[in-house]
Amino acid sequence: MNERERLLKRVQMYSFAIVDAALFLDTHPNDASGLAYYKKYKNLYKEAVEEFESKYGPLTILSDRNDTCWQWVNDPWPWEEQTEEVR
Amino acid sequence: MWKYEKKLQYPVNIKRTDPAAAKVIITQFGGPDGELGASLRYLSQRYTAPDARVKAILNDIGTEELGHMEMICTIVYQLTRNLTPAEIKESGFDTYFVDHTTGLYPIAASGTPFSAEIFQSTGDAIADLSEDMAADGTTL
Repeated sequence: MNERERLLKRVQMYSFAIVDAALFLDTHPNDASGLAYYKKYKNLYKEAVEEFESKYGPLTILSDRNDTCWQWVNDPWPWEEQTEEVR
Repeated sequence: MWKYEKKLQYPVNIKRTDPAAAKVIITQFGGPDGELGASLRYLSQRYTAPDARVKAILNDIGTEELGHMEMICTIVYQLTRNLTPAEIKESGFDTYFVDHTTGLYPIAASGTPFSAEIFQSTGDAIADLSEDMAADGTTL
């Protein structure tokens, strides 16, 4: 696993936790431990996204930070993470 | 409105192609219990949900299913890269390839194209919930 994959994996891991927490909170909106879990992983997610995007470009169209070139279009797209030729 | 995140929900890195497996796995994209149908089911049913919590969870599960669809399509895409004519023919992938090459087309493993006939949206919360449990019992 290269550095890009490692940093992206961290984003994916925290994002997964947030999505699951949100589904729980949808039906338990006043659950204190659920809210605390959500807050914890949201902060970790933000840090992970910041580190990934500062090195490898935007994960959303709101976070493109280059003034001279639109980074969003750059490969790889999510379905083509694996770059080597495989048989 | 939706915002796209340029990542999969979970990484997919398939080392070895396997068109025969792709032909089976594609049913989770366009088959009767696939992710496309799941997304459309929840995202259609949410409008008439009677309770804010139900609206929220149908909205968010329907959205997550789109992410699942993307992972399934990625698996199929990666399983069918760089195929030789012999591999296409011998694997049985030829019956898909003749119409779609390696393009992603929502279809069941049996060959039936995706149809909205595989789900319901009735406007009745109990009827919809029963249908959801039948289709995706582990999620709800």
